[in-house]
Amino acid sequence: MEIKQTAMAGTLESSDIQIILRAGTNGYEFELESDVAKQFGDQIKATITNVLQAYAIENAQISVVDKGALDLVIKARALTAVQRALAIVDTPNWEVM
Amino acid sequence: MDTICDLYLSDKHTQQQWQSFLTDRGITNFNPQEVTTIDQTIGLYNAEHQLVGTGSIANNIIKFVAVCDQDAPTKGARFNQLISELTNRLGAQGIFHQFVFTKPAYIPSFQYVGFQLLGSTEQGAILEKGVPNIKDYLAAIPKFPAAKKVAGIVLNANPFTNGHRYLVAEAAKQNDVVYVFVVNADVSLFSTAERFQLVREGTRDLANVVVVNGQDYLVSFVSFPAYFIKDNDAIIRYQTELDASIFKQQITPVLGITTRYLGSEPLSHTTALYNASLERILTPSVAVKILPRLTAGAQVISASYVRQLIKAGTLADLAALVPPTTLAFIQNNLLTLQTRISKGQNINGN
Repeated sequence: MEIKQTAMAGTLESSDIQIILRAGTNGYEFELESDVAKQFGDQIKATITNVLQAYAIENAQISVVDKGALDLVIKARALTAVQRALAIVDTPNWEVM
Repeated sequence: MDTICDLYLSDKHTQQQWQSFLTDRGITNFNPQEVTTIDQTIGLYNAEHQLVGTGSIANNIIKFVAVCDQDAPTKGARFNQLISELTNRLGAQGIFHQFVFTKPAYIPSFQYVGFQLLGSTEQGAILEKGVPNIKDYLAAIPKFPAAKKVAGIVLNANPFTNGHRYLVAEAAKQNDVVYVFVVNADVSLFSTAERFQLVREGTRDLANVVVVNGQDYLVSFVSFPAYFIKDNDAIIRYQTELDASIFKQQITPVLGITTRYLGSEPLSHTTALYNASLERILTPSVAVKILPRLTAGAQVISASYVRQLIKAGTLADLAALVPPTTLAFIQNNLLTLQTRISKGQNINGN
């Protein structure tokens, strides 16, 4: 699937995460800002990657500002960002959950 | 829990409250030109209905941000809540490339929520978030690692005159490569596409000249709004120093620019202040070369004089002032240009 429009989900508040998705040309390109990037950076990226793969997105630029979000929050925000980016907010893919 | 509300500054009482909150926190420029460009303002209220934070959006710029951390649950929480709301609102409008003006002390706060520093001076700083960012912008510009002497020139070229041509040609003679950055903001008599085309055509014979668009980074509504909107000297100085610092901190290292070329400025007060700021900020790491303005007879060649001639329709003198490419364009589009002027396009500014 191709990203149709740039989309954002989440906030910059404590325990949340802000994810911005843009069309890319070179696989998944991450830009991550997090206090715990050293400890959990790979896991944050893996969680988002799983959601992107579930929607068969091949290329994306992903900007992430993490404020200590738990895994389920990251997943939920990634899901929302993907649905906005694909313009399918009305027909969510529940299988991914 | 703090709640976010819209603040409507058209309401006098709201504006007074907003202004005094900002003034208490060191933001004191309420120049009407600054304030009227605001699209939205939000306020953050605590449980006792006191204003504890505010921020505004003007086009793609976040400004007038202030937060009171007294009695806050955690330090920085209010700031993050406020910036979240502002970036989300910009995102809802499809604006994902965002800028912020702030004081140097707050650079880390904005970096903490994903902004990247573009330029900073003692008085101010400018940061951006999103793409295409400065890295993407610079990556798309051709580079010449083998060149030893590289020059940079920024032109609005409204339109491209023999004066501009002289400046570019001199720089081309003295350097291996010359980057000409054309101002991107589309608020001049000649459209951005027209100005860009005339600069390109007027320098086509100079093999070592590269014409590029200055985008948001050089003399833009973001970096230097006073170029387009009248403002007082202190503000102009503040903005021009920031504009110069972006050029110095971001652009010159990547493109290897060693000298910035300017025309001396006997006519425009704003541009004269800009030249002074450039000298102050750029030297000694980047040389600044100011060339005397070219004259035709007793007249200093200026684009603003050319615009006057277009308005008056007296094109006889034009051949001495502009290159043949610009002359041909004006002759072919005289009516269009005059219609723009009669429809209210200002031709006395820049």
